[in-house]
Amino acid sequence: MEIIKVESVTKIYNTGAIAVKALDSVSLGINKGEFLVIAGESGSGKTTLLNIIGTLDNPNSGKIYLENNDISRYSKDELSDLRLNKLGFIFQAYNLIPVLTAIENIEFSMMLLGIPESVRRKKALEIMNDLGIDELANKKPNQMSGGQQQRVAVARAIVNDPLIVLADEPTANLDSKTGENLLDLMEKMNKEKNITFVFSSHDNKVINRASRLIMLKDGQIINN
Amino acid sequence: MIFRIAVRNLFRNKRRTLIVLTSVIAGTIAIILNDSVGNGMVKQMLENQINLHTAYIQIHNKGFSDEKSVDRYIKNQEYIDSLLSSNSDIKFYSKRIITFGLLNSANSSSGVNIIGIEPEKEQFVTFIKRSLLEGNYPQTGKRDILIGKKMSEKLEVEVGDKVVAVSNTLDGTVKSELFRVCGIYQAGSSEFENTNVYIPIDFADSFIEMNRGVHEYAIITESLDDVDKTQSSLINQLGSDYELLNYRELLPLLVSYVDVYRKTVIVFYTIIGLAVFFGIVNTMLMSVMERIQEFGVLMSIGMKTKEIFKMVILESFVIGIVGTIIGFVIGNIIYSYFHYNGIDLRAFSESLHSLGINAIIYPSLNLQLVINSLLVMPVTSVLGAIYPALKATKLMPTDAMRYV
Repeated sequence: MEIIKVESVTKIYNTGAIAVKALDSVSLGINKGEFLVIAGESGSGKTTLLNIIGTLDNPNSGKIYLENNDISRYSKDELSDLRLNKLGFIFQAYNLIPVLTAIENIEFSMMLLGIPESVRRKKALEIMNDLGIDELANKKPNQMSGGQQQRVAVARAIVNDPLIVLADEPTANLDSKTGENLLDLMEKMNKEKNITFVFSSHDNKVINRASRLIMLKDGQIINN
Repeated sequence: MIFRIAVRNLFRNKRRTLIVLTSVIAGTIAIILNDSVGNGMVKQMLENQINLHTAYIQIHNKGFSDEKSVDRYIKNQEYIDSLLSSNSDIKFYSKRIITFGLLNSANSSSGVNIIGIEPEKEQFVTFIKRSLLEGNYPQTGKRDILIGKKMSEKLEVEVGDKVVAVSNTLDGTVKSELFRVCGIYQAGSSEFENTNVYIPIDFADSFIEMNRGVHEYAIITESLDDVDKTQSSLINQLGSDYELLNYRELLPLLVSYVDVYRKTVIVFYTIIGLAVFFGIVNTMLMSVMERIQEFGVLMSIGMKTKEIFKMVILESFVIGIVGTIIGFVIGNIIYSYFHYNGIDLRAFSESLHSLGINAIIYPSLNLQLVINSLLVMPVTSVLGAIYPALKATKLMPTDAMRYV
């Protein structure tokens, strides 16, 4: 079942007098339960494509459909609701909220959904337990290692049972063992909970685990 | 949780938060002290004028306040006396005979208001008796005259010296009478001391041949709040042959000065508010700019821009509230000390006296001023955070996360 459809998306960045075409009429579909990797060299447009799929950035032209709804014309608030309810994000730099503890970071998006504190605390603890990071509950990001922070970021991304998790080079800042462990974890989530994962990465560890691989070069898909 | 994040964000850069907090505290203290001193001064000016001579309500024969002629006197005293005595809202009242004349000493002379008073009643209506510098208050049946300090200096007389008062009698004849200076008062207003002298009402009556008439009733009600009620009830009872004026009508200039002063306080609030406002804008802007990436993350998680706006405003509001509470407590401790002990401005007593203000000022707060002091800084804090908060919400999540 196709949950996301990207149709002829073009993105141009204007850096001073020079216009750079980051994506050039890209079209693709993503099915439920995929473990999809968008790969390519630096500057190929993989992060841009991930950001546009995740509604974090607007394309210059083209359309994005999520569950057959054209989300290209959504307002800022509608996109926020969409990200909150349907999408999960994992960033290269972890991007946890520094003033919140691990459990509070995980609870944050549930709080935005208006879930009562007792319910969200219970669910956050369950997920932390599943991911084996329950001992980190009361630690702040600066008290955790990169691998630990990224695991908390994974927990934050999946806590609202999203339709799809978008992970932008999630292993780039981790050593190879920690990276493998993290990928094991995400693979497990994919298989056990049927969560769709879309990665942008040029890391072979990630690419080797892909159920589908999309190769980008100069903003165009060269291999799907 | 947004509140929790807002509060924790304040602890990220403690020094910066402390600087803004200090400016809010200082602003609140400044507002409390400025308001209370100003209000104390204004209150003193008004009370001085009321207690010096005006009283709360005056009764005259119709037209007396327009033309203070000796023949506009009140004849039906018995009726008015019975009305005033039976009114439970009236605390004290006193009758006066008022004429204008010349006071001569061996060395000099000066134009004066000669006020005949009932010494045993007048002492409760004004504070002239309590303002005696030397000598005694006039006594009924004696040729006593009480003069102000300025007048004593002008005429070069002391207690016990003789002076001659010259005035018109009721029929227009010029008459002179000899009086002995029984006392010298200091009223806190040089102008008043220079123009008003007091003699017993029985001597005033025979001096200008009033034949038991009076020009003025000065009334003190139980409290200032009773003035309007008492005035209207007396107007109903006395009818249109008399004029009944309250202190606001008797002192229109002073009342409008007080009103203007209370309005100009807004200017002071604005100055203090602006100083704190720019401090807050600067601090919040720095705080927001260094967290733009974080706002990008929050937006990517699904936080709406209006919630980010709310969070930044909340951070500033928390500083405003905490600073106001601390400033309010410190300001009130300082205020309480000076409220009971006064601020000694004797170094400026000459100029203060000319304005009718005492040399020792007792700051005074009222409910409105307390509310103002509690509102100005939190409101300023919120206003100061609006621009930084808007700045935080303008970018797309990706632009925010890439922001350097």
